[in-house]
Amino acid sequence: MANETGNNTRLGIFVLAGLLALIMAFYMIGKNNNLFGSSFELHTRFPNLNGLIVGNNVLFAGIQGGTVKSIRLISDTSIEVTMTIDDKVRTFIHKNALAAIGTDGLMGNKVVNISAGKGASPLVDNGDMLGTQKMVSTDDMLQTLSTTNNNIAVISAELKATALRINQSAVWDVLNDRSIGKSLKTSLKNIAKATANASQISLAISNMVTRAGNGKGALGVLLADTVAGGDLKSAIAKIKTAGNNADQMTANLNALVLKIDKDLTGGKGSLNAMLKDSVIAQNLKKSMDNIQKGTDAFNQDMEALKHNFLFSGYFKKLEKEKAKQQNKKN
Amino acid sequence: MKAADITEDQEDLNHGEADVRPVIVIEHLYKKFGDLVVLDDFNLVVKREENVVVLGKSGSGKSVLIKCIIGLLKPDKGNILVFDQNIPLLGHDDLDRVRTKVGFLFQGNALYDSMTVRENLEFPLRRHWIDFSQQKVDELVMEALNNVGLPHTVDMMPAELSGGMLKRVALARTLILKPEIILYDEPTTGLDPVTAREIDNLIIRLQKKYHTTSIIISHDMNCVKNTADRVVLLSGGKCYAQGTYPDFEASADENIKQFFE
Amino acid sequence: MHGFATKTRFFLNETGSLSRFTARFFSVGVKPRYEVKELLAQCYIIGYKSLPLIALTAFIMGLVLTMQLRPSLVVYGVESKLPIMIGIAIVREIGPVITALIFAGKIASSIGAELGSMKVTEQIDAMEVSGTNPYKYLVATRVMAATLMLPVLTVLGDAICLFGAYIGVNMHTVTSYRLFIAQVFQDLTFGDFLPAFIKTFFFGFAVGAIGCYKGYYSSKGTRGVGNSANAAVVLASVMIFVIDLLAVQITDLLGLN
Repeated sequence: MANETGNNTRLGIFVLAGLLALIMAFYMIGKNNNLFGSSFELHTRFPNLNGLIVGNNVLFAGIQGGTVKSIRLISDTSIEVTMTIDDKVRTFIHKNALAAIGTDGLMGNKVVNISAGKGASPLVDNGDMLGTQKMVSTDDMLQTLSTTNNNIAVISAELKATALRINQSAVWDVLNDRSIGKSLKTSLKNIAKATANASQISLAISNMVTRAGNGKGALGVLLADTVAGGDLKSAIAKIKTAGNNADQMTANLNALVLKIDKDLTGGKGSLNAMLKDSVIAQNLKKSMDNIQKGTDAFNQDMEALKHNFLFSGYFKKLEKEKAKQQNKKN
Repeated sequence: MKAADITEDQEDLNHGEADVRPVIVIEHLYKKFGDLVVLDDFNLVVKREENVVVLGKSGSGKSVLIKCIIGLLKPDKGNILVFDQNIPLLGHDDLDRVRTKVGFLFQGNALYDSMTVRENLEFPLRRHWIDFSQQKVDELVMEALNNVGLPHTVDMMPAELSGGMLKRVALARTLILKPEIILYDEPTTGLDPVTAREIDNLIIRLQKKYHTTSIIISHDMNCVKNTADRVVLLSGGKCYAQGTYPDFEASADENIKQFFE
Repeated sequence: MHGFATKTRFFLNETGSLSRFTARFFSVGVKPRYEVKELLAQCYIIGYKSLPLIALTAFIMGLVLTMQLRPSLVVYGVESKLPIMIGIAIVREIGPVITALIFAGKIASSIGAELGSMKVTEQIDAMEVSGTNPYKYLVATRVMAATLMLPVLTVLGDAICLFGAYIGVNMHTVTSYRLFIAQVFQDLTFGDFLPAFIKTFFFGFAVGAIGCYKGYYSSKGTRGVGNSANAAVVLASVMIFVIDLLAVQITDLLGLN
């Protein structure tokens, strides 16, 4: 009988071990599916899910925070995504947090990234709707860069032509018109801003590229793709050339403005004669408009690039430094 | 066992009012396996405390007969009344109740070889009366083993015992429920003559002690001679002849004579 | 032609009697009284005593599977997906089926031989005469024990198989066990685990029922016992694959895949 008790004990251990392994497996799987532990729900709406499916992970500030529970089509441009979020991250998500669809690794699953919004906001409640943020994809980024390049190329070409023409012809009288002078000044300011932006961006990019060369950062992954890398490199080169052109142009224009100023203050008569040539005047006006438009577009592009996640770190650093310097001044 | 004893027994039976009724009545029993007819209108009546030996050649259906009596096989047709209960018609529970009063000694002993002798003997006890105390069970086990003279084997495994000992342990297991009827399926087959004789004597002794009724299947004439009050010859699926051992010994019938050769 | 007809009839007859035999489990086996003691004893023999064999085969299976899969994955540059691939393979299919096959080889044959020899030596009849329903005492307990023990063995076998896979992964790279397990379970869902787990009950039931059936209806003689043990293993193994096929179709229909 003692033997039988021993057998039963061993059987008990065996069954318990199996049960334990089963529970462990359930727990491990359940942990990923958020079946256990308390959780709450958040909603968000995207125009396009890019292949996001039920069960994908939700990352908050890059850490596992929950899973996608359900997907519901609201209209042709709006899809509601319901997410189950762990309670442990609840105290960190504010109502103004933004959701975006991203990719887990280069070839991995889609994920929902929740990032903290700017400014103060109360904490989220169960069932809240989060705002969304368009994640700039690699394609979008390259497209922006090429638009920027084109714009810069157009601007620099026109500026060059104008500057040359102004230089060659003695049309200084034209500039008696004060309004033209004013718009020229604004343009110059814009160009200066644009070039500053451009040089900042090229710096940022070269910075990123060196980091990428060391295999760091998100770009490191990107640049493994040689095509994208080439594109990026040529883009950077173009930006540089454009920047140089713009520099030159600014110098030219500066000289021009100085001359105009001198002429105006000197009260030379040749300018007045020039102004009678309405064709030239119209051309000049058009050029100025173009310059303004071009620089505006360029600035917008630069702003967009600034908000690109790839560069956000760099610009934040710049801002910080600026703030520091300002603090020092104060 | 001589003829005088038989008449004495029969007179006993005739005197007691309750004892008049036979304990086993077999009427018009048919059983066939496929195309092979084994039992063909077989009839037999066994009275209380009677030792009936069923004699027959191998394959004549002797084993089939007693397996029908205990309900292990279902006959195709016919009645088997054991204590006035018709075995083929009984449900499982009623059959179990009858079986507590009927012991069966298997030809191959059928001891459970994964259990010790003690567990073998306890098995029917625990099955039929679950609410026995452990003390009572131990008592009954030792009593049964003492009856067959093997109390020292109680904690041995069947594989460790000799053929004769196995038969005796099997007999002890059959007797442990104190059955009123015992069916023996070739109790001495495969044993040497000396051991066979011992088993015969044991059967007679225990039959006297517990006043049981027996049906013994055999083709061993020594066994028949030692144990039989009445001999039945089963041949062609029918009760071919019956009588006492001396009747059979004196018979001129070819079918009977061949058993004495 | 005659031989074919006979064989077909034999096959149908066998299928019918096996079905009837199995159905008895539900009509007889579930009624009191329950043979708890014998059930526990059988669980010990069928479950606990099979563990070393299952553990050994599962460990080797995990190790070999990893080493076999790795080169192909390296070619496609997805070596990092090795743990999850192995995890899915083991949990969904290889764990349950390999365990069940090993289990069938060990248990179906031993039950077949045990009951076969009990049948031949009239022990089953003796049990019946002793007021015990041998079906309930011998068959129901063994079928039940096999049904309950195989899932336990499978879960443990899966765990050991994963451990073998971990060793296999670590032969080429260094991975911590925690990371490996996290990777394995990263993409595993209940849809992977539950159907595979549930089908092991059916595997166990089939192994137990077929082993018992073949033993219970064993023909006389030692040859008959050997034949029934052999037939039990063969039939049980085939049955495992048939059930596996059914299981995958059912899970597919239910949309659990």
